[in-house]
Formats: sequence, C-alpha cells, structure tokens
Amino acid sequence: MISLPFALLVTATLGSILAGLSCSIAGVFVVRLNMASIGFCMSHAAFAGAAFGLLIEVDPLLTAMLFASATAVLLAPVANRAKLNTDVVIGIMFSLMIALAFVFLNLSPGEAASGTALRILWGSIFAVSEYDVLYLALLCTVMVSFVVLFYKEILALMFNQKLAKAAGVNTYVFMLVVVFLTGLAVSFSLKLVGGLLVYALIINPTSTAYQFFWDFRKIMIFSPVIGVASCLVGFVFSLETDFPIGASIVIVSAILLAVSIAVSPKRRTVKGAALSV
Amino acid sequence: MSGSKEPKAVVLLDEVSTIYEGERLPAIRDVSLSINAGDFVCVVGPNGSGKTTLLETINGILRNTSGKVRVFGLDVTESGHSVRTRTGYVIQNFEIDPLSPFLCKNVVMSGRVGKIGLLRFPSESDWSVVDRSMRLVGMESYADRPVGKLSGGEFQKILLARAIAQEPEMFLLDEPFANLDLKSRADVDRLISDLNRKGATTVMVSHEIDSIPAACSHLIVMDRGRVVAFGPRDELLSNGMLSSLMKERGSVH
Repeated sequence: MISLPFALLVTATLGSILAGLSCSIAGVFVVRLNMASIGFCMSHAAFAGAAFGLLIEVDPLLTAMLFASATAVLLAPVANRAKLNTDVVIGIMFSLMIALAFVFLNLSPGEAASGTALRILWGSIFAVSEYDVLYLALLCTVMVSFVVLFYKEILALMFNQKLAKAAGVNTYVFMLVVVFLTGLAVSFSLKLVGGLLVYALIINPTSTAYQFFWDFRKIMIFSPVIGVASCLVGFVFSLETDFPIGASIVIVSAILLAVSIAVSPKRRTVKGAALSV
Repeated sequence: MSGSKEPKAVVLLDEVSTIYEGERLPAIRDVSLSINAGDFVCVVGPNGSGKTTLLETINGILRNTSGKVRVFGLDVTESGHSVRTRTGYVIQNFEIDPLSPFLCKNVVMSGRVGKIGLLRFPSESDWSVVDRSMRLVGMESYADRPVGKLSGGEFQKILLARAIAQEPEMFLLDEPFANLDLKSRADVDRLISDLNRKGATTVMVSHEIDSIPAACSHLIVMDRGRVVAFGPRDELLSNGMLSSLMKERGSVH
C-alpha cells in the first residue's frame, strides 16, 4: 500500500473519475460508429503529439490534442482519396504515429524529457497536475452538456448517419464535434492512463454496458458509470499493489467486461420462451 | 406535370447531373423534370439506372454536380437542411445491425429530430405522433423492442413509420415494399396512397412494374442515368416501351 500526500490523493482521485467519465462517454460514440480502431489510432497519435511537445518544449497536452484531433479528422478524407478501406489507413497511420513518437523521443534532449515521455506512455498518478484535473473537469462538463442538449440528434446520428441527414440533422458538424471531443478525451486522459492503454478505457466500459442494454439511453448512462467505477477501483488497486495506474484501470475494466459477458442477459435463452410466444 | 416553370412545382430539376466522388460517369445526367404538389410519381427502371441517385439528389443527400435543384421553391444546395426537414425519406436495403442498441420508438422519433429543431426536447405531442405513426404501420406493439431483433419486413415498416412521424410535405420512398410479404405490401400500398390523398407529394422508386400503387398517376422511366420517359402512368404502361426496356436490361417483372 502506497501512502500519498492528501493533496495528491485528491488530485489523482478526481483525475481518475474525470478521465473515466470523459473516455467512456467518447466510448459510446466510438463503439457505435465502428470507430474502435480510430480510437486506437488517436491514442497513439496523442502519444506521438506529446513526444513532439517535449521535443519542441511546448506543453505536451497541447500537441497531444493537436495530433489526436488532426489524425481523426484526416482519416476519412485520406481513406477516400487513397481508395483504401479506413481500417487499412488506420493501420498505416497507427504505425506512422508510433514511428514518429520514437523519433521525437530520441531527439528530445536529456533524461528528464524521456522520463516524462515514459510517463505519457505508461501513465502515472504523479504526472497529473491540478491543471490537468481542471481541463478534464471542463471537458467533462462540455461532453455531458453536449449529450444532454443534443441527445436526440446524437441518437439519430448513432442510428444511421444518412437517415439522420435525411431528417434534417447537420451530420457533418455533429460528426466533427464527436470526433473532436473523442480526441480531447484521449489527450486529456493520456497522462493518467498512458498512451498505450487509454484506448481500453474508451471501449471497455461501453462494451460492458452493451452486454446488458438494448436501449441507447441506458448505454449512454451506464457506460460512464462503469468507466468511472473502473477508474476508481483501478486507482485503489494500484495504490494497494503498487501496479502502474493505467495498467490497473485497464485490468479492472477488462475484468468487468469479462464478468459482464459471462452473466449477460442478452445471451440467456429463457426456458419455455418458445411455448409462451 | 410537364413544363419547367409551373408555379405549383414542389420539385424542379433543371439539367441536373450528379457524379459520385471519384467517378467519371454521372449516375444521373441532364435530368430535367418537375413534380407538382400532391402528385404521386413512381420512378422505374432497371438496376443501376440512377433511381436512388435521383431521390438523393432531390433531398440533397447527394450534391448535384451541375444544373439546378429546387424543392419547395428552395435551392437544395443552399437550403438542404430545411428541405430535408420537410421531406420524409425511406432508405433502400438498409441492413440492420443485430446489435443495434435502439428501441423502435426511438428510431421512429429520430425521424422528427430536424422538425423539432435544435435545443428542444421531444414533447408529449411529438411522442403521440410517434405512437400514431407506429399504429399506422401496424407496429404499435413494437415500441419498446430493440430494432436489431426485428425481421427485414418489420424493420421496413419501422423505417416507414419513421418517415411518417416526420409529418413531411413530401415522401421519397426507395423500394418501400422491399422485404414485405403480400399482406404487408397491400397494407403499405394503402397507407402511402392514403397519405398522398391527404396531400403529401410522393416520389417512389420501384424496380418492379407490378408493385406500382394504383394511386400513382405518373411515371419517370430511367435508363443509364437519363430520364427516357416521363408521363401519365397508363400511357407509358400501355405503349410497351417500359416492359421492353426492363426485359432488355435483364429485370423481368
């Protein structure tokens, strides 16, 4: 058991809650739009961006945001222009981002930078500052407001983009906002969970909620609940075991997913159901 | 019906071509036509003749590459959202994702999203329109069921209810009888004819001549992206041109 100074404990706890909240809201969009691999690509782009920030001595959070959002926004046009499946382009971008990250880290001067970079890769409680928590809090406020205020547009968009457009929804703007918010959630959670693992925090909670519900509203409510719970339990687990926090959170969320798959009512066949119809 | 500048025209296409991104050949080319308020028009033609492209050019889902598209007197390129808010669209060959986490009533409500407008929540009267639409297609008992579990025909009816819930001035129906059994076909035929009689302009795509509803007064015949005939239904059906076109292109019905 690690004992932390109270202030750090508060920062880390709030950071975990808010990272869980923002990533799992983004997860609902990512999973439903079949963008799981985009989330994967974005988290590595954010990592490359953070490494670039260290190299040019700019706040890594800012460059992480830029890289993650730019990657997401560029994916579809590049896939279109290259006449390739989006998944193929994601594969190319993903490896390019990792390559760039390694180059940037290699070029970064001094030991301190590589220590910071490693923390971005693995995630660390100690890397999270009050400012990071503040940014995360702002992002969560924006995301929750977006979901509440535009729920009917989001539902239409998540059901089918073409039909949403046909009903008069400005799908282009909404998609841009969804992708941009996902990029921000990835970037802001990077320091805590780590570039290699933030992706799991995006898709695991939503996938867990999918095991129980058919109603999009319930998934929209329970995915963040599961995300926050995974982060809090993961945080405590990490304090108890001295495991890295990112790894702990991902392990907890994966266990939750595994258990939910095992007990999912969606896979249960009700005995006698055929007779009662 | 004919003549390009009639005042009552709801849909007015002038020398319109639509080319899909990256393609060279237009999916529809040099299409000029006008459809009046309250008309029931069927678009017929073989596979790949540009029927769906025509529908999606009318509501601006596809941007026309040349020519002018005016719907409800509005330019679709500039006022696409407003046109689409007033137009109910039933999409063709929609594949249901069995894991789709949406209840039928929410899918039907999603048709009204543009009509309700930004920053407004669906009111009780919106929900009663949803209930009524589901009743009209005979799916009222499916409100709380997930769409992923429906059969193809049931889902087709939910998509129709979705367009009806929009209470549009015009329906664009792309193969609305797809996946329906004979009885459901007759029900849907009666329903869309009824909606047309109450004033909704209706443009319906069909690749089967036999499934054209009796209420349909005019036909647009398409072949290889061009409108090859546009006129009263009975006239076009009796002169044999249509059936020989369908036979020639390999779809015999």
